[in-house]
Amino acid sequence: MSLSKNPFDANVSLAGRCNCGHHTSQAEHDAEAVAEREALESRAVEGAVMRALFPDDQLRRNFLKAVGVGTAYAAVATLFPLAAAREAFAESTGPLEKTKLKVGFIPITCATPIIMAHPMGFYAKQGLDVEVVKTAGWAVVRDKALAKEYDAAHMLSPMPLAISLGAGSNPIPWTMPAVENINGQAITLAMKHKDKRNPKSWKGFKFAVPFDYSMHNYLLRYYLAEFGIDPDKDVQIRSVPPPEMVANLRAGNIDGFLAPDPVNQRAVYDGVGFIHILSKDIWEGHPCCAFAASKEFVTQTPNTYKALLKAIIEATAYAKKAEHRKEIAAAIAPANYLNQPVTVVEQVLTGTFADGLGKVQKVPNRIDFDPFPWHSFAVWILTQMKRWGQIQGDVDYQKVAREVFLATDAAKLMQEVGLTPPKTTSKSFVVMKKTFDPAKPEAYLKSFAIGKS
Amino acid sequence: MAFLHIEALAKRFPQADAPVFEHLNFSIERGEFVCILGHSGCGKTTVLNILSGLDEASAGTVVMDGREVRGPALDRGVVFQSHALMPWLSALKNVEFGVRSRWPEWSRREVEAHSIKTLEMVGLAHALHKKPHELSGGMKQRVGIARAFAIQPKMLLLDEPFGALDALTRGTIQDELMQIVAATQQTVFMITHDVDESILLADRILLMSNGPRAQLAEIVEVALPRPRDRHTIHHDPRYYRIRNHLVDFLVNRSRAFAAPEAGHAPAVVNPGSDIPEPQAA
Amino acid sequence: MTTLRKPWLAPLLSVLLLAFLLGVWQLAAQPETTVVDPGLDPEYAALIGAAAAGGGQSAMPTPGEVGGKLWAHLTDPFYDRGTNDKGLGIQIGYSLARVLAGYLIAVALAVPLGFLIGMSPLAYRALDPYIQVLKPISPLAWMPLALYTIKDSGTSAVFVIFICSVWPILVNTAFGVASVRRDWLNVARTLEVSPLRTAFTVILPAAAPTILTGMRISIGIAWLVIVAAEMLVGGTGIGYFVWNEWNNLSIANIIVAILVIGVVGMALDTMLARLARAVSYRE
Repeated sequence: MSLSKNPFDANVSLAGRCNCGHHTSQAEHDAEAVAEREALESRAVEGAVMRALFPDDQLRRNFLKAVGVGTAYAAVATLFPLAAAREAFAESTGPLEKTKLKVGFIPITCATPIIMAHPMGFYAKQGLDVEVVKTAGWAVVRDKALAKEYDAAHMLSPMPLAISLGAGSNPIPWTMPAVENINGQAITLAMKHKDKRNPKSWKGFKFAVPFDYSMHNYLLRYYLAEFGIDPDKDVQIRSVPPPEMVANLRAGNIDGFLAPDPVNQRAVYDGVGFIHILSKDIWEGHPCCAFAASKEFVTQTPNTYKALLKAIIEATAYAKKAEHRKEIAAAIAPANYLNQPVTVVEQVLTGTFADGLGKVQKVPNRIDFDPFPWHSFAVWILTQMKRWGQIQGDVDYQKVAREVFLATDAAKLMQEVGLTPPKTTSKSFVVMKKTFDPAKPEAYLKSFAIGKS
Repeated sequence: MAFLHIEALAKRFPQADAPVFEHLNFSIERGEFVCILGHSGCGKTTVLNILSGLDEASAGTVVMDGREVRGPALDRGVVFQSHALMPWLSALKNVEFGVRSRWPEWSRREVEAHSIKTLEMVGLAHALHKKPHELSGGMKQRVGIARAFAIQPKMLLLDEPFGALDALTRGTIQDELMQIVAATQQTVFMITHDVDESILLADRILLMSNGPRAQLAEIVEVALPRPRDRHTIHHDPRYYRIRNHLVDFLVNRSRAFAAPEAGHAPAVVNPGSDIPEPQAA
Repeated sequence: MTTLRKPWLAPLLSVLLLAFLLGVWQLAAQPETTVVDPGLDPEYAALIGAAAAGGGQSAMPTPGEVGGKLWAHLTDPFYDRGTNDKGLGIQIGYSLARVLAGYLIAVALAVPLGFLIGMSPLAYRALDPYIQVLKPISPLAWMPLALYTIKDSGTSAVFVIFICSVWPILVNTAFGVASVRRDWLNVARTLEVSPLRTAFTVILPAAAPTILTGMRISIGIAWLVIVAAEMLVGGTGIGYFVWNEWNNLSIANIIVAILVIGVVGMALDTMLARLARAVSYRE
């Protein structure tokens, strides 16, 4: 990263405090950060060269031990222009490695930034020719992304964690550089249940969620469990692709679902169901879907990755503003994208919507857009994965969160596009009146009465 | 040595106790027409298949024109009981199929011309381009004969070719066959169930005893003069002597025929030889 | 079959039956009342569908609506409004290309292999257990495996078509070859026809009707499977079109797609039937 484009530039005034709070000024913090990063990068380059010259670990160690590290690097430097290699690595605003990209998405409003960046020109602005490809379900998105058919994809935020941990597939290093949306989901029930508003009366219900590794699954389970309903024993929860949810609700195969929009609003539009509760009322500001890419894409084509991420974050910043929402709804509703009536998409994005019970509700932050991938989100998701038995054994919560949720990249780019990134990468938050402390995940996990662990 | 010489021929099928036939010894001269007569199960078809090379003998040898017969070859033409025409090919193409194999160096036109000539010989000039299902049973068998003739084999093998035909058609084709064989001096070995047919066509008739362990019981010489006419042949008093002899064998003696020891040559009989040849009317 | 005395009767009955069915459909799909509930907040009513505003659920489309959609698709079959929104003609083209690719590979492989199995009892016995186990597997069950190993959804779809078309062709070819009349082979043998020429001039034409029957079964299955495979994988094709319209709950468009799928399937079957008639023979 060149210094001129450094988001931690000293010119950015931040009220006399630095990002991490350890330095008296941002400039001091930056200087140290830059020095630290440069040292890190050089070490990485030198290490890589050493490994290339001595692929055998034992041989390399013996060599280093025999001549000393300093001598070794000096010797290697005479053979290999290390300085040039270091510069090449640091220089990341170079030409795009590739401009034609494929990004997969599921036709739901969570994917708004990924989708709208196409018709509204955010990709083109970064010099990218992105094809956004509608995909039938999350398993397919995952497999196509793993198969490198997609360069990057719209995923549910737990999916990159699951892929990296190897839950439901072989472990492959995956990254999530940006959250797409926060809130924006809802529990919808069939019209026949309009008098059963207390979850305690839901025993025996059949619910649908879009995917096992989804916020929807965790939020619905959390919500039910808070009302004393064991999601594994008292109700049935199955994985149903969003497009099939309304059809199943109409047919009476399911009693309700916790689903992404526009599915909820579409159920209301077709007179099939009503919105019981918005997901923001379970956890205000929860993450939902994410923009994800393989670690390989991030490291092999860093310039392209950065340009793509910037386009997404810019689109997210644009979508954050309430006054743009109608325009976005019109751009993403056509058959090429969501393939929904414009009014349905508009109700979701503007938050002025029919609830299915005869009322017009006005909730402007029904869905919101904030790209920052909080590490604490990842930690919470991991606690729920463990709570419901999707992962077993000890989990290094912080390490996995750091490696998958690329908060620093997002923070830099957020600043470039005029958003204010948070100062830290971890925060505590409240889920149904219960505070979550990301530093104590195990204690949090143990505090639940219902769960598998 | 005779044109075709068969010695100590035997056939035993796998998993069978006794051989179908054994100790078969006979010869056929060039240009001779030989019929083999016997009840079902005596191995007539097997003998023919061994001669054609489609089947292998368990013991014994077949020597034709000085060379041992091993496997099928173009020097023997076979007419199958069920005519065995390829139903997807026209009459002409069926004949051409054989002709092309016999003379691969020939041009299309040569192949076609020769095939048409052969079909004309059996009276099928009008049906060259008909598919087998459009032909009557007799016409199909004519195509089969034409296919065998067209390759100009040294010997023609016919496996009961007229068995499935009605009497009238059978007579016509018998006449045609006789004419062609006479004109081409063709050596013929033919299986039949029909006593009258064998007398009409054959120079000699081989009589097989019943199987298993069937043997060549007798060789009957048919000394009737040629050309023979099937409308007048039964006026010849020798005809009935021969016929009675054959029927008597088939009805009474074929079952109880006592096997002579191996290597014993079959008796040669000439029924009616004591009757003088009648003067032509 | 006896010839009908009135040749126009059957078509007339077909048309009457169609008219009757369309009539029943029209009556059944007729929305009960589209009058907006007077007690309903007009602002609320504007946000929901017409049927929901009347207190009911959105209904089946009427034949008229479907006809309108059909006309719209038929008059503009090749539009391209972006990656995910292409005309029905283009989608059919994608599906046909996949079906033909998978199918032709299957033919190219199954016919020679079927020959081998049909001619050699040893090969038959060695391969039969595999065929028996692999044959009944639903082709869609291969999809996840194909996606995982082939790592390309287009190729995976072709593979699924291949795997579903290969068995009927293989089994029929083997059966057809094994039951070629002994007599015809004997004719070839007595005429000293080489094995290769026998294969092409005797066995192939003799087994062709059976092989074509297998090919006809296969193309039918392939066309059934492509729709399901494309619904699963998405991207392009008529199956994707159905899925995309399902996503939009557009029953009218789905019915249009069903009609088109049926017509194309019939056309494929008719083509193979023609071909089968061309190679068939009467004994």
